[in-house]
Amino acid sequence: MDKRKRKLFYGIKRYFQLLKIYARMDLASLTRDGKFMAIVIIADIVSNISSISGIFLLAWKFGGIGGMDRFEVLFMLAYGNMVMGFLNMMGGCNALFPSRIIGRGQWEHMFIMPVPYAVQLTVGIFPFTGSSSFLSGIGMLWVAVCHMETVMPWWWPGMLILQLMISMIIVIAFSYLFSSLAFYAPVQCEEISGAVVYSMGRTMTFPLSGMPVYIRYPLLTIFPAGLMAWFPTMILLGKTATFESIYPAIFALMISLTATYYFRKGFRYYVKKGINRYVSGGHRS
Amino acid sequence: MFQADTALEDIAVKVESVSKLFTQWQRNEENSGKKDHSEKKNAFGKKGIGNLFRQEKKTVTALDNVSFQIRQGEFVAYAGPNGAGKSTTMKLLSGILQPTEGTISVLGMSPEKDRIALMKKLGVLFGNRTELWWDHPVMQSFEWKKVVWDIPDAVYKRNLDMVTELLDIGEIRNTFARELSLGQRMRADLAMMLLHSPELILLDEPTLGLDVVAKRQMIDFLKRINREEGVTILVTSHDMDDLEEMARRILMISKGKLAFDGSFDGLRDITGNLTHFIVTTDGRELQLEGCRLLSENRGVFEFEVDLSSLPVKVLLGRLSKADGVMDVEIRKAPIEQVIAQIYQTWAEPTSE
Repeated sequence: MDKRKRKLFYGIKRYFQLLKIYARMDLASLTRDGKFMAIVIIADIVSNISSISGIFLLAWKFGGIGGMDRFEVLFMLAYGNMVMGFLNMMGGCNALFPSRIIGRGQWEHMFIMPVPYAVQLTVGIFPFTGSSSFLSGIGMLWVAVCHMETVMPWWWPGMLILQLMISMIIVIAFSYLFSSLAFYAPVQCEEISGAVVYSMGRTMTFPLSGMPVYIRYPLLTIFPAGLMAWFPTMILLGKTATFESIYPAIFALMISLTATYYFRKGFRYYVKKGINRYVSGGHRS
Repeated sequence: MFQADTALEDIAVKVESVSKLFTQWQRNEENSGKKDHSEKKNAFGKKGIGNLFRQEKKTVTALDNVSFQIRQGEFVAYAGPNGAGKSTTMKLLSGILQPTEGTISVLGMSPEKDRIALMKKLGVLFGNRTELWWDHPVMQSFEWKKVVWDIPDAVYKRNLDMVTELLDIGEIRNTFARELSLGQRMRADLAMMLLHSPELILLDEPTLGLDVVAKRQMIDFLKRINREEGVTILVTSHDMDDLEEMARRILMISKGKLAFDGSFDGLRDITGNLTHFIVTTDGRELQLEGCRLLSENRGVFEFEVDLSSLPVKVLLGRLSKADGVMDVEIRKAPIEQVIAQIYQTWAEPTSE
């Protein structure tokens, strides 16, 4: 085996070792106390049911919303749960909320770890305490698919995974784009990523079918909550034209390039111009 | 002064002409809310509401053209008053910040460009923060460190056994980090820092807030790993007693400039052996020849003395003859005073 291949295999092995240690720590934190474990599980069940019940009950009562039948609505809600659930599960190191890392001075811990930043941000997995939303999303998706009349072609599962990945990239890119501001004002912007992600998460549960364009278009461009559940659902159910189907991928590419540019720029400012007490609103330490 | 005529590979830290500037926005709060009936003011103060939006940009020079070198195996104290630039230097050396000007080399590497390789050989500990996982037992943090730093099993086991014994952490290894006392937490943090066998250790105020016993334990341990393992150590503190106890060489920084680089004896040659002592009497007045009275409050007298001109033996002799003395406490002069003395010594030949 040549040197490059060995290095690649070593890198993959290390990545899984890191995932494993974070997963083990998550399990240890869940199981350290029976009462705590019960509370976490019950709270997760209640939270997941309540997050989708309002919209789903409306769809059930009226036989659907805006041209989507009740199980198509359920499919959309399940899709959204899977997007947010997966990101939450992988967010053990605040990877989804980088402004918190900056505002709380946690980047200083990251500097002194001999691991690339991208790896540090993506290995913080919470498979036991953070997976309920993702798992309930899978369950809901299964129920919805079983009740829908649409015939799924053989490549449909692959398309589902692709759309899920695109939606996640959009959420992450938006979070990182706004988090760039935290490099300049750590305390003031500490929760900006949370505000962006959670507001997108709340808005994504509304089916946009039948909505006027002045509502639909901003939610697919400026504030792309529509790309987190509704539009991908339309693509997966075959309700969009072919050229429309590639729009989320193009949007994801553009927003991630923009986010990368501004985040790197902010990061350079952060290490060059200084942090903490020398900057008004410097991070909490 | 310790100047570098040592071989390049012998140098653990090389700081050349490093400056670090920060920009700060300041608002003049004067007259913006204080009640002063002698002048007419509106609700927002003399300058009015406009003052709330007016800010001045100020450049803070945290480090000003600082240069020094540290050889491998040295134990160096980095001293200075609060705000002198100690923590900024530590952050620059560990790659957390980048200098505005100048170059830094740590273990032959650039903290900016070779971060990952450098962090495998460097140990960093900031006294005011912990690297331990707050909601997990100490041992879990150690296991985490082993994986993240990719420490070989044999090295990990050897170091774990060593730190457990020397830092006496056997009993706290299974305790949750949030349940540790400050002294225990510092010991656990120090133990964790050493698990990957760092060649260079940067310690920022490691004795901050520790009680006498915990401080003693930490100092003894640091001296031992420096002596036996040859680990290079750079430690900051604003407590001169702690530093002299630990290190052989002292770098003294003040207002971002390097004020002194040399041995503690060399420092005393310049500043004298300034010492403060507090004498408690039963209420009687106290006067001591050769000592300067700094304050007096209900039988508690604080004196300053230069022990290089008045030996401690003589001083104690005089105290034993004084009437009504109930207690005596001796400590080094505060670092601010030592620095003031250095500047005074520099200024004297010029003024002549």
